[in-house]
Amino acid sequence: MNILVFTKRVAATQEEELRITGEGQAVDLSKVPFKVNDWDNYSVEEAVRIVDKAGGSVTAISIGDAESDEVLRRAIAMGAKDGFLVETGEALHDPFTRGELIRGFIDKEKVPFDIILTGVQSEDDQFGAVGGVLAGLMGLPYASMVIGIDAVETDHVVIRRELEGGLQEKVKVATPCVLSIQSGINEPRYVSIMGIRKASKVERKVFKADGYEKGSPKIELVKWVYPEKKGGATMLDGELADVCGQLLGILKEKGVYQ
Amino acid sequence: MVEQAATRVLTCIQCGKCTGSCPESGRTPFNVRMLVRKKQFQTAVDEALPWYCTSCGACTIRCPRDVKPSEVIIELRSKLVEDGDIPVALQKALENTFVQKNPWGRSRNKRADWLEKLDFEVPHVSETESKRLLFVCCIQAYDPRCMVIPVNVARLFKAGGLEFGVLGEEEACCGNEIRRIGEAGLFEELEEENKAAFEEYGVKEIVALSPHCMNALKKEYGDTGIKVVHYTELLAPLVEEGAIRLPGSFGKKVIYHDPCFLGKQNGVFDEPRSILSAVPGLTLLEFSRSREVSLCCEGGGGRMFFEVEATYQRNAEVRVLDAVDRGAEVIATACPFCVMTLEDPATEKGLAVKELSEILTEVL
Amino acid sequence: MSYTLIVAEVRRGVFEERNLDSLGLGALLGAQSVLLVPDGAYQVPDKLVDVVLKVKAAEEAYLNPMNMGKILEAVFAARGKPDHVLFTQSSSGTESAAYAAGLFGMPVVTDVSGYDRDAGVFLKSYYSDKVFGQFKAAGAPAVLTVRSGSFREFAAEKAAAAAAEAIEGAAAVEARTFVEYVEEEKTDIDITKAEFLLSVGRGIGNQDEVAGYEELAGALKAVLSGSRPVIDKMWLPKARQVGTSGKTVKPKVYLAMGISGAFQHIAGMKDSDCIIAVNKDPGAPIFQYAHYGIIGDIHKVRDKLKELAKG
Repeated sequence: MNILVFTKRVAATQEEELRITGEGQAVDLSKVPFKVNDWDNYSVEEAVRIVDKAGGSVTAISIGDAESDEVLRRAIAMGAKDGFLVETGEALHDPFTRGELIRGFIDKEKVPFDIILTGVQSEDDQFGAVGGVLAGLMGLPYASMVIGIDAVETDHVVIRRELEGGLQEKVKVATPCVLSIQSGINEPRYVSIMGIRKASKVERKVFKADGYEKGSPKIELVKWVYPEKKGGATMLDGELADVCGQLLGILKEKGVYQ
Repeated sequence: MVEQAATRVLTCIQCGKCTGSCPESGRTPFNVRMLVRKKQFQTAVDEALPWYCTSCGACTIRCPRDVKPSEVIIELRSKLVEDGDIPVALQKALENTFVQKNPWGRSRNKRADWLEKLDFEVPHVSETESKRLLFVCCIQAYDPRCMVIPVNVARLFKAGGLEFGVLGEEEACCGNEIRRIGEAGLFEELEEENKAAFEEYGVKEIVALSPHCMNALKKEYGDTGIKVVHYTELLAPLVEEGAIRLPGSFGKKVIYHDPCFLGKQNGVFDEPRSILSAVPGLTLLEFSRSREVSLCCEGGGGRMFFEVEATYQRNAEVRVLDAVDRGAEVIATACPFCVMTLEDPATEKGLAVKELSEILTEVL
Repeated sequence: MSYTLIVAEVRRGVFEERNLDSLGLGALLGAQSVLLVPDGAYQVPDKLVDVVLKVKAAEEAYLNPMNMGKILEAVFAARGKPDHVLFTQSSSGTESAAYAAGLFGMPVVTDVSGYDRDAGVFLKSYYSDKVFGQFKAAGAPAVLTVRSGSFREFAAEKAAAAAAEAIEGAAAVEARTFVEYVEEEKTDIDITKAEFLLSVGRGIGNQDEVAGYEELAGALKAVLSGSRPVIDKMWLPKARQVGTSGKTVKPKVYLAMGISGAFQHIAGMKDSDCIIAVNKDPGAPIFQYAHYGIIGDIHKVRDKLKELAKG
């Protein structure tokens, strides 16, 4: 079982107040630290667990700048055999373009695979679309929001998809296929600094993104804008009954109480 | 650097002094003597056990054969860290420290936010004459409860005419807890980053706010040639000599809790007491277990970031009950972790917990 | 004739409410709106669209992205290509949308929460809503997934009921097949999965008060959780602890009562969609993180809420 797993280095913005520069041309990330995309961390762990049981090998692939080598070393420390960096000069916002680039890379480099794993989404753009686009482009069976892999057979897998409201759906998917992994599918192991240092000794291959066929982007990012300002807590004032009535109104509006 | 304990476990005679002094052994499944034994014979250890240790250091101080049991625990943990098999909460703390240089994962860009609470400017350490660095570190930089500590200490230093500077966002976690969790690689990275900053700005003296930071900076950063002290060591003579005047009065019965990393591990017992004694109106009390045998609050060794599965009474509660017995109204301590662990049960019993600098600021 | 194809999300016989947001965006886009639904007894709001297009397909097949590819092919063949294809931003909606985009070479923007008609741009969240990107599709049809709660107020009633159209479905794809639904096990409460958490802290005072909050949680259909002091005292089981030493939660609504907002607690819940805090102390740090706040006696608020919820 050959598994390709995609891993992305993303800005850790959760704690940051982001600043848009100029007339909305860019988001200033100059002082923001970077980390592995959370969903990809689960994907790599899942890939390693599958080959631990079913045999085969895991290849971690990152699309990004030279710094993305960091997440490849991490994946290798977790148990991936190889790390491939498809080096791009600029951030690719369009999930369609990313999908095309990946297809072009896999085709041209004749990378063998039985299963392709992606995270459901990446923390930065949260498109949640690259896996699906890739499957559509390559004509491969696809499932997203994968929260459990129950069986890995020679020609198919049985997985569970997370739906809304605590419901899951068990689905049989023929291989080769693309699966997008949901966070929480496993408990990813801790990757120690020593482990990453050891993994650095494994050579990672670097490929240039310009070498692969892809069309022009299908969507254009016109401008960055801030969300409408909420500004601190709205205090509910008034008589007790009134305040509680307002509270219930909010619960209804949020759809958690009828 | 810290000596490898692996070579020392063989000298253990299983006398049990470590277990006798351990704040966890006896009431929890943790038994430090047993773990040293298992390390001697290289037998398997239940993975949940090493995480009980609070790194208070009592075992290492009491050991007649210098086995350093607390270091043995760190080695056991290191193995689990290497295998990637550690409690999730600790994993988060380590990953956060890797990304943001603090275990809570707060933005490094906000590390100097506490300075906004001051009505005077604190220079970058490179701009000071003395090259005296106030090492703030994570919990004081971010936790709203503990953020008052650097604010207070800065005011006290100013009142005492003591020049100092900070590193601001360039400061990284000291790594004391990180090393004790068993993540030696991450500790090295933090150490290198901080040492590079110390060197670049010609730091000559470091004043640590937390005894945990002081411990790492003083004893685990190798020979930096930089003098490292806890802030109470610097304040004590200033208060005694009257260089910092304390015109107010604090008419309360105050009991002083010795933090393990300040007291038993680094021998600073008298300075905090002399500071408290100089506060007008204050009556200083002592716990039944104080100074070298002070009972650990269980905030160290990574226990600040996760909790062991336990149903036993917390030491902090034992401590508070003793304080009540002694007639105390306020528990004073000089460590942010102790403040955090003691405050819950103390509030419950109607006692206040104050970090030393809080009492001083009240009478300043 | 240009039109907007709205792919309805249905599940276990129910026409999902979040489809209304797709209908709302459909109305804003202005073209003829065509609502695609599978055969079945769904409560379809046929006054809110121009055409209801029924496809002969079983629900499970319809929700399968590969089958949806075939269905779209049939729709495009029968009606021509639309300007926009709208899906819900949901587990199945996003899955099918992305797959269809790849299959037909269509531009795709997910999680659309705003539309500027004059500029022709769609608003899409980045970095958990810290900033938004304005996107323009470079071709048609563009595939969009629509964020729940974003557009439903724009769904407008039409003068006449929708025209009914029907198309044949396609042969079911075998590369991916539905096996069964799996209900989450209810035995051990997992607070990280709850959409609505009622969380209590030290402010509840003593153990006897817990029962009252359990009742409130029951009345509101919320799951009860707590902060560390409450767990420490074993008033609630450890599995219900929110915070760095407990669980990290991101419910739709986090209602915190008697929780002051210690840092370790905040870290475990600050990413909740909506935080409502009730506390007697106006200076409680939790108000800095809350979207809504009530300053007052939590027991009184609890009792009044119970009364109103029952009434």
